[in-house]
Amino acid sequence: MNWYNIVFYLFALIVLVSAAGVVFSRKMMYAAFSLLFTFFGVAGLYVLLNADFIAVTQIMVYIGGILILIIFGVMLTSKFTDLEIKSGTTGTVQYVLAGISTIIVAAALIIMYLNVDWVQNPVPELESTVKPIGILLMTKYFLAFQVAAILLLLAFIGAAKIARRK
Amino acid sequence: MYNAVVNELIGSLGLIKPELALLVTFVVVIIADLIFKNNKVNLGLSILGTIVSGIFLIGMSGTNTSAFANLIAVDPFSEFFKYLILISTLIVLVMSEFSEELHNRDVWMGEYYMLVLGMALGMFLLAGATNLIMIYLALETMSMSSYILSGYTKEIKRSSEASLKYVIFGSLSSGIMIYGMSILFGMTGSLDLYAIQSYLAANGFFQPAIFISGLMVIAGFAYKISAVPFHFWTPDVYEGSPITITAYLSVASKAAGFAVLVRFIKLTFFDAAGSSDESWIMMNSIPWDMVLAVLAVATMTLGNIVALWQSNVKRMLAYSSIAHAGYLLMGIVVMTNTGLMSILVYFFFYLLMNFGAFIVVMLFAHKIGSEEMDDYEGIGYQAPVLASLLTLFLVSLTGLPPTAGFIGKLVLFGAVLDSGWYWLAVIGVLNSVVSLYYYAKVVRNMWLRKVDNGKGTLKFSIQSQALVMVLGIPTLVFGLFFGPIMRWAEHSVRIFLGN
Amino acid sequence: MPEIIWTIIEASIKALAVVGGIQLMAALNVYLERKISAFAQNRIGPNRVGPFGTLQPFADVFKLFLKEDIVPKNADKFFHSLAPVLSLSIAIAVWAVIPFSSYVDIGDRRIYMGIAPDINVGLLFILAMTSVGVYGITLAGWSSNNKYSLLGGLRSSAQMISYELSMGLSLIGIVLITGSLSLNDIVNHQLAWDGWRWNIFLQPVGFVIFLITAFAETNRAPFDLPEAEPELVGGFNTEYSGMKFGMFFLAEYANMTTSSVLIVLFYLGGWALPVPAETLGLKDGSIALAAAHFLVFFIKVLMLLFFFIWVRWSIPRFRYDQLMNLGWKILLPISLLNVLLTALGVLYLK
Repeated sequence: MNWYNIVFYLFALIVLVSAAGVVFSRKMMYAAFSLLFTFFGVAGLYVLLNADFIAVTQIMVYIGGILILIIFGVMLTSKFTDLEIKSGTTGTVQYVLAGISTIIVAAALIIMYLNVDWVQNPVPELESTVKPIGILLMTKYFLAFQVAAILLLLAFIGAAKIARRK
Repeated sequence: MYNAVVNELIGSLGLIKPELALLVTFVVVIIADLIFKNNKVNLGLSILGTIVSGIFLIGMSGTNTSAFANLIAVDPFSEFFKYLILISTLIVLVMSEFSEELHNRDVWMGEYYMLVLGMALGMFLLAGATNLIMIYLALETMSMSSYILSGYTKEIKRSSEASLKYVIFGSLSSGIMIYGMSILFGMTGSLDLYAIQSYLAANGFFQPAIFISGLMVIAGFAYKISAVPFHFWTPDVYEGSPITITAYLSVASKAAGFAVLVRFIKLTFFDAAGSSDESWIMMNSIPWDMVLAVLAVATMTLGNIVALWQSNVKRMLAYSSIAHAGYLLMGIVVMTNTGLMSILVYFFFYLLMNFGAFIVVMLFAHKIGSEEMDDYEGIGYQAPVLASLLTLFLVSLTGLPPTAGFIGKLVLFGAVLDSGWYWLAVIGVLNSVVSLYYYAKVVRNMWLRKVDNGKGTLKFSIQSQALVMVLGIPTLVFGLFFGPIMRWAEHSVRIFLGN
Repeated sequence: MPEIIWTIIEASIKALAVVGGIQLMAALNVYLERKISAFAQNRIGPNRVGPFGTLQPFADVFKLFLKEDIVPKNADKFFHSLAPVLSLSIAIAVWAVIPFSSYVDIGDRRIYMGIAPDINVGLLFILAMTSVGVYGITLAGWSSNNKYSLLGGLRSSAQMISYELSMGLSLIGIVLITGSLSLNDIVNHQLAWDGWRWNIFLQPVGFVIFLITAFAETNRAPFDLPEAEPELVGGFNTEYSGMKFGMFFLAEYANMTTSSVLIVLFYLGGWALPVPAETLGLKDGSIALAAAHFLVFFIKVLMLLFFFIWVRWSIPRFRYDQLMNLGWKILLPISLLNVLLTALGVLYLK
């Protein structure tokens, strides 16, 4: 057990517990807030992988952007307290079926993760991760980078269209 | 230091001229919309840009290479689909001009053209994408535009509902797809389809993992082509969207989905050593053909059977488009170049007849204010020209001679029989027979019910009738002289297989 | 002892110093604010507690400690207590990457003045923490179960999200010029040119935008809509009392300090001395030079703090729609243009 492992399991625990919180919370706001810790935990895991740029971007985009919007939505649409997540038809049959399919999917994934010979590249010792990422985006993934920009522009136009009165 | 790379990028730019033309048009329309605030200008610019893109595409013919460090391939196969997409885009742009649904509500149309162009761009890239990241981004570009377009008339409740359903199911399927991609990446350490293929070929693998991840990625594409069991969105979205967008989704979006599905399967799981042009051998002994066959049978059977109960023509056409996706999937099942060719031929004809049917339904809806089958009773005598054309399109969709649809089905079933999938062909033919019933129901209502309903004739503008004619005449002509299309498709089955 | 233990000890000491420093700065801010506002309104201001009232902030904190802590009956207890803690801790977390002087060499160990100022995504980290800062206020507004609090919380999050964009974009200019995201590098780059290659001269537009957005991000006047008294009672902290209120207070002043420090680091040359260090006879890595650097830095920060307070007592508040217009229709396009021009400049002049 070295330092690295301890920190890894710490973050992994945060991710798992808070993700369970997202799923099992009865209140929307609690679920949204648990998600905050899930995102933080994932960012921590990225740091352990020497991917500091991705980690910070994760915080900026998911915590600083997406989750805020979710919380905004909850705050604007619901009563302040006692908001229960309801759904129309959750009977025993649905629970059983959902449980069975969850177990099947989980078993399949676990068997797969244990058996696959994952590619493990050695972690390169980099002075800075930002520069190599920038260079890759501007050379090898140039087109993908530009398409992402177009995609965001389209989303922007669409959002403006939907939000506008007419 | 990076000069060589930069030069290669600049060289690659020359290979995506059609895409660049669309991109420039997209930007120009945004600016023109701000300056002129005139829908006619926007429409003119969009059509112009589409045509320019088409001219560049003709100039590119025969290119067979990859661009941008293997991010996309520019080959005859993608070129064929790009033509399909361009033709659809052009038809949709013109068709929207006649749509009262879009124009009568004081809806601002500027964004409509931008989104259609953006969607076309996304589909162009998807048709050629050979890298998982590129596939995902192109797919999302296409989806993002279509989500908004399907809710474009948002003050109509069912349109917003369509948009919302599309988004929710769409994000779920994207999520599944990208999860599959991540597993594939973890196993092979690469996002490049060629590299994944060679890594898989060189190393022994835990078969179920490849199967699961491949299935997850295919699920994402199956969503776009509305194959069962990823079809849930189709009826509601097709019914709720503006009819121009319904037509666009049912043809162009499906075409792009098929293009990427074929390319992904062929490039990733294809055993280069053991295959010839005529038969592709899949490596790792995973029966992808069987998986696709099951998908195809489920898709066409469910599509056809549910279509039987529909009373709304638009909804019926939605289910029929699911069924057609099933037929088209059979072309991939056989995994030969002949099968591929039959897909291309079928798709070209499907474009003509499906667009034709949707346009007529739209024009009728303007006059009789309904898309219900019962309201079509006796319409044959009120609008003989359009009703005959609709009859033609429906006959063609069923696959009866002497229409183009017949040739499409003939080539497709021929390819299936050739490679020994007899039971699949039988199911396909039985399905076509079932489909005859619901297509014929519309025809019967138009011509044989309320023959003399006393209502006056319906007037349609010359231009709108001309547009339907432009689709109707080829549907008939290609049913008799299909040689050129067959030759074109034969030349277009070449997929760029890597350096 | 292994290296990691030393690193942890060093970081802990620095962290304690920084946290203590921030509290002291907050106290200083309170004092300055009260004195300067008194000056602006032609009053005397605090003058009873300690010489010239210098101990007034401590008396204020003492008072807050002794006050009753009230949680409204229908409030969400957990979030109500969490919100101020979150606000304050995020305000402090930013300091993980902020340097406040050059380095000191002790033996063969080089100690940077800052917890981790050399991290190569420092600037991004600051932007990320700024965006996370919204949570405290939003949650406070929501959990109080009070419409004024909720409106205040919503306003502040909308405001912060809108201005974050321009803030980030204005900093891209600096990143383009420096070629690094590390705060140490950004300051060193400004030191390189006889002490006068300050980014404010290279990026005047970016500086103005950053200054304006800094006001908005800290919810200071003229952007203090979240706590506009005539409209919203007290805004998001209406239902807070005692030390929880004090924490919001502290967080606000910590943010103000942070903003001033960032402006100094990014645009005003950081700890650059007015004359080259050699002429003063100070060696690189010596304690004396680090102290001189710190002094220069501190004076600059104080001047900016004065500016913050001066603006608050001189300029009226924006209306909400004006605020949004300014953010989206004016600042955002200008900052995009600034990025474009800077990129062209870097490409052709460098």
